[in-house]
Formats: sequence, structure tokens, C-alpha cells
Amino acid sequence: MLTRNRLRLIRRRLLQIAPVIVLATFVVFGLQQLVPGDIAVTLAGDNATDARIAEIRTLYGLDRPFFVQYGSWLWDALHGNLGKSILSGEAVLDSIQRRFPTSLLIVGCALSLSLVIGIPLGILAATHRGSRIDAFVTSIASLGVALPNFWLAMLLVATFALNWNFFPATGAAPLSAGVGKALHYAALPAFALAAGGIAEVARQLRSSLVEVLSSQYVRTLHAKGLSPTAILWKHGLKNVSVNLLTVIGLVFNRLLGATVVIEAVFAIPGIGSMVVHAAIHKDFPVIQGVVLALVMIVIGVNLLIDVLYTVLDPRISQQ
Amino acid sequence: MLKFHRRDFLASAAGLALAGAAFAQGAPKKGGTLKVSANANPSSLDPQTGGSGSDHSFLYPIHDTLVDFEPATLKAVPGLAESWSNPDPKTLLLNIRAGVAFHDGTPLDAAAVKFNLDRARTDPRSNIKGDLVTVESVEVTGPQQVAIKLKQPDSALLLILSDRAGMMGSPKAMQELAKDYDRKPVGAGPMKFVSWNDNEKVVYARNDNYWKTGQPYLEGLEMQVIPEINTALRAVVSNQNDFVYFLSPQQKPLVDRAKNLTAVSGPTLYCVILFLNFARAPLDDVRVRRALNYAIDRESFAKATMAGLSEVATTVLPKAHWAYDPVLADFYKYDPDKARALLAEAGHKDGLELHLIGYTDQRQQQRQEVLQEQLRKVGIKLRFSTFNIPEGSAAFFAKAEGNGLLSQWTGRPDPSLTFTLLYGKGSYFNSGRAEASPEITSALAASRASPDIEDRKKAFSVLQRHVLEQALSVPLLFQFELDAHNVKVKGFKPNLLGKPRFDCVWLDG
Repeated sequence: MLTRNRLRLIRRRLLQIAPVIVLATFVVFGLQQLVPGDIAVTLAGDNATDARIAEIRTLYGLDRPFFVQYGSWLWDALHGNLGKSILSGEAVLDSIQRRFPTSLLIVGCALSLSLVIGIPLGILAATHRGSRIDAFVTSIASLGVALPNFWLAMLLVATFALNWNFFPATGAAPLSAGVGKALHYAALPAFALAAGGIAEVARQLRSSLVEVLSSQYVRTLHAKGLSPTAILWKHGLKNVSVNLLTVIGLVFNRLLGATVVIEAVFAIPGIGSMVVHAAIHKDFPVIQGVVLALVMIVIGVNLLIDVLYTVLDPRISQQ
Repeated sequence: MLKFHRRDFLASAAGLALAGAAFAQGAPKKGGTLKVSANANPSSLDPQTGGSGSDHSFLYPIHDTLVDFEPATLKAVPGLAESWSNPDPKTLLLNIRAGVAFHDGTPLDAAAVKFNLDRARTDPRSNIKGDLVTVESVEVTGPQQVAIKLKQPDSALLLILSDRAGMMGSPKAMQELAKDYDRKPVGAGPMKFVSWNDNEKVVYARNDNYWKTGQPYLEGLEMQVIPEINTALRAVVSNQNDFVYFLSPQQKPLVDRAKNLTAVSGPTLYCVILFLNFARAPLDDVRVRRALNYAIDRESFAKATMAGLSEVATTVLPKAHWAYDPVLADFYKYDPDKARALLAEAGHKDGLELHLIGYTDQRQQQRQEVLQEQLRKVGIKLRFSTFNIPEGSAAFFAKAEGNGLLSQWTGRPDPSLTFTLLYGKGSYFNSGRAEASPEITSALAASRASPDIEDRKKAFSVLQRHVLEQALSVPLLFQFELDAHNVKVKGFKPNLLGKPRFDCVWLDG
């Protein structure tokens, strides 16, 4: 599996990680300086004087120059120390380790749902082009993209959690509490999140499959007397698989971003609610830690997809 | 539900309220864990280093206070200090209850109290140095007795000791843990701290050695942090949590519709108020400030913005408060003609434009619109600049931008603090920093001079009358606390401070 070309690809990607991380965390750190708001005001409490706020700034090192603050964060991060939340004192690494699995479980479930439902819908639409099925799938897909996921989430909660009591209305359970329980909690948020993913996968798959199925060589295959089923499964899907992989990568990243809203609706203690709280209060060690972890995950997923490209289409690794 | 609301309102107005409701609920049962939807992550679990008004509900279970307060009126009652006296006006002698220990076994004695108070006054990270600014020294005068020596007479100190400054923590734990005490508090309260996951939950377990015999009834307590109030309510509607507090009045119908829930509401000190910069034109003219007070129809303002869950405000103390003076209730009855006449007299016959600071969220915008509409009728045009809460407050209080700020005052345990902070010369919340009048300055001092509550009541009547005559601000209404809990939750009493406490709660079934 690990041919020389693939190893070279992986090595090249790993070398890119360091500059990407430095750039991303630096930009985020810089943006925080531009946003109005002052964590020292929050720390100083409800009726603090200006003098007390200045005292707090010195106490927490918030009065140091921009580059010194960023530099000391980066230096500690390089040594595996992500620091503590300025607001609450909790170790950032602890929060990340506790919260990432929760978010990843929901994103993972949502991605699976997107594929399990989106792929059959896309195939169905492409093979019945122009029919009622096609029209139905296309409109469902448009709806899935257009529906705000927080609204869908609230509808789902009202129906399945509050009226029928099938699922819990809020919260999350870790995998350590049992896979069944964890999935039970993750079901509604994952479904709310997946609506957009299903639509995206179905639409992209439909259009690339339509293109492949109307190409010259498929006509030749038909002329050779191959059955439509064989053409679809052996040749059609194989040729759209690279496109599909690209879509999966994009959908994954988008789902990860969308958890911010979904976690607020379901009160899920995941990465989204963590970064929102930190951003509002400008708790920079937490924001930086989350950004670092997210960048690593996104780079990891992209790398995996790049490697899979070369598996699915050997021409890519030769380039 | 109307029945409940009226009963609650009348009862709290009479000041004897909620004890009655609690007695009607049968004998307390032991056991069970109460799960609460809380609105914000605590800023710290160390009472001295935290700073947010929403922390108290997280702190009360762990840290008992030296002085306690009567929930319905906020009168001081014994807590960890079983009695106190003033041998002279500049000394407060506290007799500490014997036989009480912190959760780690450290005895709660005079030395521990001195340690706590000194730490609050001197630790660089303490956010409550200002609360104890009149304290000269704390002396241990017996194994269970401390004498607090004051720089000047300060009868507000007693109720200050029912707040953060009076929350006692184990000196041993504070010394050993230093900064980490923020996340591992050890108090002498009904519940022991177990764990705190940021923005997720704080978990507590029963303190079996609690000094109040038989209490607490609960085996455990879980405060789940859910900042989004609709989600917080949903968690209770779906029976995942048992209790939610600080709901918005607009959520009342949802609570009433849920068969498994009981609504609890009661007045709080939380006052929606228009702060004024009375040091700068045109509001340096008392006639204009009075005109503002006459021009507002507070009843309709409350109806339009609070769905009935409020009490109109003339001063910053609600009816149920011990220092409330009913004589002052109608000081500024709605009178648009009088407002117009006052404005004309002040030279603003053709109207006047005021630049106000406001906040951006939906409820605040609604308040701004109603106010604009009401004042337009007397010829006052309001122009609002809106910010998020910290930025808007800083713009008005710190940078003295704008003529006024439409905001809220969350109250303080002792009314002296409230009046000094709001109207005292040089205070942060007095945007112009100017002296309102020499009468007010001396009335402020007089309100802290006597430890006798009847004397203080009289002093506060005088003070409030001066403040009203000068029309230093425009109090609009007191927001009611709206909580909802599962029908199995018993014994909960809302308090006037508006910071829910769960020490008397039990679960039935």
C-alpha cells in the first residue's frame, strides 16, 4: 500500500503542517486583538475600577506586547503545554481531550448519515434523470441546503424529544458510558447536522454520475451489450469516486464548523460551545488550543483523502 | 396559573411569603440529586477571586456565609456568626458558631475567619477589596470571636458579610492550593465540591457533617451550564434537568403549558434603569431630569416589555425590601403635561435630543423602542448607540459617552452600597463623577452610621427622597425572577437578591 510515491506525498504534507499551524494560530491571535472587548474587564468583576482592571492586566500578563504574548504561547505549545484558561483556570488540554470526542462523534455520525442517505439518493436521481424521482431528489437536496440547521434542530427536538420522548432533548453522553447511550444522545444533533451533508452528497454525486453516464465510453459499453447495472456499478461509480471523496472532505470540514450552532441548541459540551464561550470573552489560550486542534484534524483528514485519491486513481500519484 | 402568580405577588409584597408555601409542601424527604440548568459558567469557585453576579448560585452550596439574609426582605440573620454586637460604632464583634468544620476537617474558628477576611482585603487576586474598604483590622478576641475594627462607622458591613466577603473557605486548602483554590474550593456549606468541567457542569455531594442538623436533604447537586435559555428550559421540559432559573418573561406560557413543571416567580433587586450623566448639559438641569421621570408611563412600559412579570420602580428598592418607603411610591406619577412644562421652563420649549447608550440584544432593543415612543410625546428625541454589554457599560461609565445608559442595576446586599455606587461622588456608576448635592453626600454617610435597623430605615427614607428630588436617574421597573422546576422539587424559596439557593430543597418521589 505504502508505495514510494505515497510516502513522498505524506512526507510533503507533514512538512506543510508546521507552517500552516503557525500561520493559522497567528492569524487567529491577531484577529482577537482587533475584536472589541477586554478579558481584563470580565476578570475584574462587576463593579471594578479602572485601576483594578489595569492591575488585572499586569497580573495576567495581558499588558505585554502582542508578539511577546503570541511568542510565549507558541513556545509553550511547542513544548506540549497549551496553558490554562485565563477565565476559569482549567487546563486547555484537559478541556480539549474531554470535548473533542463529543464533537467528533456527532460529526462522524452526521457524515455517515450523509453518505448512507446521500449516495443512494444521488444514484437514484442520476439513473432516473428527468423522471419524477430525479425531481424529488433534486428538490429534497435544495431543501437540505436551504434549511437552517438550528431551525431543523429545534423542530426535531420539539417532535422527537419533547412530544414523543424518543431521544434526549439536550446534552451528550461519552462513549465510555456505553456505545448505545452515546449514539442515543448523538442521534438528533447528528441528524440536524446531516441534512446539509445529505443534500450536498446527493447533488454532487448526481451531477458527476450524470456526466460519466453520458460520456462516450459508456455509450461504447452499452453497444458492447453490458447491462446498465454492470455499467453503473463497475464503471460509473468507480469514475465518480474521486469526486465523491473530494465532497466528503469538504462536507466533513463544514460539519465540524456547523457544530458551533448545533451544540448551542442541544447544550452539548463539545468543541463548538467551548470556542464560542472563549471567543466571546477573549480567553485566548482556549481559542488558540482549539484552533490548533482543529487545524490538525483538518490537515489529517485532507491527508487521508489525498492518499485515498492515489488508491482510487493511480494516475494521481504519478503526477 | 393566574392564581399562583397573584398569590406569590401578594405574599411577597407582604414580606412573609414563601415560608408559607414551603410549609404547605409536607415534610422534607432525604436523598436524590437535583439537576439544575444554570445560565453561565462560574468565573471562579473561589468567592474572593470571581467577579460575575451569576456565580453566587454555584458558590452558596459550598461556602456558608458569616451572616445570612431573610430571603423575602434581605434582612440580616445569623449565619456562621451566631450573634454580633457593636461595642462601639467602629467595632463589629462577631461570635462564631462553635463546632463547625470545613469540608477538609479544618475547624471554623476565629483564626479561620480572620484568615479569610484578611485574604479578601489583601490578596492581589481578590476582587472584593472594595467591599471591605472600611475595615481597619480584624482581631481574634477569643477562640470563636473576632472583632472587626473599622475606619469609620459602617453598618453596611453586616450584609456585605452575607455576600462574597462573608463566604468562608478552609485556610488550609487556600494556602496549599493557592491559585488552584479557584477550581477546588473547600467551604463549610451544605454541599462538598466534587468536580467542575468548564461550560459543562459543576458537581456537588452532600456534606454529612453540615452544622444545620438534618440538612441538606439532597444527596447531590449538579449545576449544568446551558447559556442558551431556550435550551435550558427544554432540558427541564424533557425531565433531563429538574430546575431552571432566570427565564425570560416570554417563556412563561411555555412553562405553564408543560404539565411536569411549576413556575416560581418573585420580585428581585434587578432594576431596569436609565442611568443619567447629571454632570453635563442638558441633564445638569434638574428640571430636565424631573421631566424625564414624569414623561415615562412606567405601567405601560412594564406591560409592553415584561409580560406582567415585573414591579414598577420609582427608586432602586422594591416594595418587599426592608428599607422601602411606601410614601415615595408615587413621587413621579405619569404626567406628560408637567414634563412639557418643566422642559419649557428649562428652555427646551421646542424639544430636546438626548444621546443614549444601549445594548444590542432583542429585549433591550424593545425597551429602547418603547422608551423612544413614550418620550417622543413630550418632545424628547432619543438617539441610541448600541453596543454589547461590557462595551456599552464602559462607553458610558468609564468614557462618559452619551447623556444616559439604558441598562440594569443588579442590586447589592446592603442598600448603602447601592446608593453609594450609583450616586456617590466619584463612583464608577456615577458617569459624571460629580457630587449630586451636599445633602445626598451627608445622607449617604448617615445611612451607614447606625447599626439599628429602624434608624437605618429612616436614614434611607431621607436619602431616597433627596435622590428623587434631584431625579438622578430614571428607575423603570424591577424584573421578577422567573424559575421553573419539576413538580417533584419542593421547598425552594426565591430570594429578593435574585440569586437562587438550593439549600432547603428536597425531592419528592
